[in-house]
Parts: sequence; C-alpha cells; structure tokens
Amino acid sequence: MLRRAGSRLHLIMAVPALLLFGFFFILPLARGVWLSLTDWNGVSKANFVGLQNFAEFFHDPRALHDVLITVLFALGSAPLLNLFGLAYALVLDHEFRGRNLVRTMVYLPAIISPLIMGYIWYFILQPQRGVLWQIASSINPSFAGGNWLASPRGALVVLILVNVWQYSGMTMVVYLAGLQSIPSEVLEASAIDGASYFQTLCHVVLPILASSSVKINVITNIIGSLSVFDVIMALTEGGPGYGTESLSIYIMRMCYGSFTGYSTAVALVLFLIVLIPVLVSLRFFRSVEFEA
Amino acid sequence: MKRRGSMLVRAVAALMAAISAVPFVVLLRIALSTPAGMSTGRALALPELQITNFARAWELSRMGVAVVNSVVITTGALVTLVVCASAAGYAIARFRGRFHLAVMNVFLFSMMIPGIINTVPLYTLMRRIGGINTRWAMALVLAANALPFSVFLYTNFIRSMSKEIEESAIVDGCTWFSAFWRITFPLLKPVTAAVVIVNGLGIWNNYAQAVFFLQKPAVRTIPLAVSMFFQQYGARWNLMAAAAAIGAAPAVAAFILFQRQFIKGLAAGALKG
Repeated sequence: MLRRAGSRLHLIMAVPALLLFGFFFILPLARGVWLSLTDWNGVSKANFVGLQNFAEFFHDPRALHDVLITVLFALGSAPLLNLFGLAYALVLDHEFRGRNLVRTMVYLPAIISPLIMGYIWYFILQPQRGVLWQIASSINPSFAGGNWLASPRGALVVLILVNVWQYSGMTMVVYLAGLQSIPSEVLEASAIDGASYFQTLCHVVLPILASSSVKINVITNIIGSLSVFDVIMALTEGGPGYGTESLSIYIMRMCYGSFTGYSTAVALVLFLIVLIPVLVSLRFFRSVEFEA
Repeated sequence: MKRRGSMLVRAVAALMAAISAVPFVVLLRIALSTPAGMSTGRALALPELQITNFARAWELSRMGVAVVNSVVITTGALVTLVVCASAAGYAIARFRGRFHLAVMNVFLFSMMIPGIINTVPLYTLMRRIGGINTRWAMALVLAANALPFSVFLYTNFIRSMSKEIEESAIVDGCTWFSAFWRITFPLLKPVTAAVVIVNGLGIWNNYAQAVFFLQKPAVRTIPLAVSMFFQQYGARWNLMAAAAAIGAAPAVAAFILFQRQFIKGLAAGALKG
C-alpha cells in the first residue's frame, strides 16, 4: 500500500505543528530555564547566578504570600466549581420545558472574557454605587459600612465566588455530557434493585463519572485556578496592597519591573505548583479506574 | 437518571438561570443610564434611558480598531491551528513510529503547562524577531498555545475513523498526503468544530498574553481596549458599562447563534480529553 502511495509527504505532516510549537512554546520554555539561572534585568547582559533566584524566592515574603493566595484561590475554586457544576448538571438531567434555555443561560457567563466579567462584578460590588451594596444597605443599614473588596480576605472570597459563578456552567456541560452517556439500562437496573435516587447517585453514577467527567473537570480546574490572572486584574488588581495578588500577576509585575531573570524563576516554581496536584490527581484517578 | 422534572426541579432550574442572568441585567441597566441615574440610592429605581452611551463608549475606547484586531488575530490563529493540528493528528494517528510517539508525548505533557509560565521568555524572543505589537506574531503564539489539546482531539478522532476510504483513494492513485486533504479532512468537521469553538473562545478572550505582546493602541484587542478604557474613564460608570457590554457582545452573539454546536463541541472536546 505504502509503495503505491508514492509521495512520502505524509511523513512530515507533523512537522509544521512541531515547528510552530517548538518555536513559540518549547524554545521559550527552555530559554526560561536558562534565564531563571541569571540576574537578567531585560536590558543589560545576563550573568549566570546559579540557583540564587530560587533561594531568593524562599526569602521573598511577597512571593510566598502570593503562593498562599494562589493556592487558597484554587482550594476555594476547584471544589466549589465541581460541586456546583455537578449539582447543576443533575438538575438539568431531568426533562422539562425550557431546559435548553436554562442550560444556555447558565453557560453564558463562561463564554465572556473573565476580564470583562471582573469589571461587571466591580459594578455590582463597589461600595456606595454598587448595586448589591445599595440593595444590602436598603435592607439593613448596618451593611452600609461594608466594602467586600477592602480587606484582603473578603476580596479573596469575592474573587473565588465570581470565578465559581462564571465557570460553573463550563463544569456543568462536561458533567451533563457524562451523565447523558450513561446507558439507561444501568440506571433502570439500579432502580429495579430498589435503590433510592441518592443511592444510585453515590454508588452508580458518580463511580461511572469518575473516570471521565470528574477527571477532566478536576484537572482543568486545578490548572485554570492555579494560573488565575484576568479576573483578579479586573476586580482588585491584586489589591488591597498585594493582598489578592496571584503568582501569575507577580510574574508579570516582576518582568515589567526589570527582574526578568527572577520572574522566570518564579514562573518555574508556579509550574511545579501546577504540576504536583495534577500528577497526584491523575494517579488518584488511575487507581479509581482500576477499582471500578 | 432521566426522569421528568418535578416542580422543585423546575424551581431550582429557574433560580440557576436567574443567578446567571443578574449580572448581565445589571450591566445593561448601567450601560443605559444617565450619569445621574447611577448615583447612590438610585440603583433600584427605573433608569432614564440613554442609548447614546454605546456610541460614545465605542468612539472613546476606539473599539472599532479593537474589533478588527480581535477578528484578524482570532481568524489567523484558528486557521493556523486547524491546518497544523489536523495534519499532525493525521500523521500521529495513521503512521506509528518512534518520532510520532515522541511528538504525541511532548504535546500530552505540554497540556499541563499554563501559558503564563513561558510568557516572559517568550517576550524576549518576540522582541528579537520583531513580533511585539504585531498581529501575526500574536496569532502564532496563541495558535501554538492551543496546539497540544487540538492535536490530541484530532489524533483521537482520526484513530476512531476507518482507514478504508483513504486506502481505496490510494489504490486509485492518490498519495497519503492528498488522501488526507481531499478525503479525510472534510470528514473531520465535528472535531474541527470542537477545536474552533473551544480554542476560539480562549483566543478571542485572551488577555494574559495580549497584555505583554500588544501594547500599541493600533494593535489592541477587545479585552485590552476595555481595560484601557476602564483605566481612563474610571468614574463614568455608564460609559464603562457600555464599553464592557460592547466588548462582550460578539461572543454572546456567536454563542446564541451557534449554541447547539457550542455545547456539543465543548462536551465532545471535554469527553475525548
């Protein structure tokens, strides 16, 4: 067959993708590893300094604080996204009129730029002029003193909730597709055996979802929330102070602040922070699959 | 668990829809109000409508240029992405060998790397090749970032397709390469739709890379134009909201027009992953 196929052009069909990826992804990644070992400020000559940037990282209170913020943001976002996504999907797995309309509306926030979404919430949450603020203070004047974005802790909670609000629909679509791929015989069999709705959910549906939808959602949400950038830039710009600054925002600021070498070292640390939970959960899901 | 929804299910579903809709209503409410309409204590009152906000915001934020830039960058990135990823997916799925296995593993591993991690070194690279403030370089960067997942989707899809049609084309004198472009590629529509939808959204909305590589007003995309506008006109909420609404409108319109393909594409993309 191959002999007849004549031209051997097909053997290099992966090459354009590889060149594009090599130049715009792998090469910068490799260069980043090199730069992380230098004191480069973006202009003058780079000097090799070994692991000094990494040592500095562990003595940089702002960097360590940003690690904490990033991790807290992910710890808040990822479970809530999965919880709401699954609950929403279970509701929409019923048949009723207007189901598609509800699905469309729940999904709508996810297609809008998280930056613009952050600004929309800014309108809602600002003290004095914000809509929610005005509603809250008209119900009970004692709310009127509150500014949810003024304290770092409050602002972080708001950021998590906005993120969850925006992306629950995305998580839901994946769960819904998983739910709809479960053969109805399985569910009927469970019903015949006298299982209640919640028994079927816990012992039949969730184990089936674990290898597909849950895995995809958990991993996507881990990567997405640990590299969070846009929504924080829009809502708090990392403030008050640097109280809600995530590691990816710190990387950008260090790069602009002429600490280019250092910022690439921070980026590599962020890479490890993403990689570890992803690998752990991949391993976890593999063990779940083998049991099932 | 397919069953008919009870009243409770419907009530919960209505609440879900309302929770998702409220911010959009607030946005439009502010975008349509007069400057006085937004002052303290009047958020719940009926607004005096001022539709001219949209025209003013469009003009002041130079949104026209931004829309053109977003369209050019997104189209360029998606065309590059579809061509490169489908060809690579075909090669990996059909011609096994060490090289293709290695390519696949590189892409699989890279799916775990968020784009922000190599943005700084990429910036220095872009400066060297004159790619800062150019739309072509931005499109290539975004296409490259989207490659791993797309190659993965194409590879899985092509593996699940039968080889027979291609082989009969080859019996008739086609090369493997032309069998791909003439026969296989048109059959890839469902997965191409998924790739375009999933990545198109991310590319259209991209901000984290755009803020590094597109600094001149002439090459600004929609998210950049909106954020610049916010920094300049911070106090004028009605104009800010109008700008945000204009910025969000194209994605919303595309979603509502193609919602069935969107949901299908996203679910297919996700479940294959």
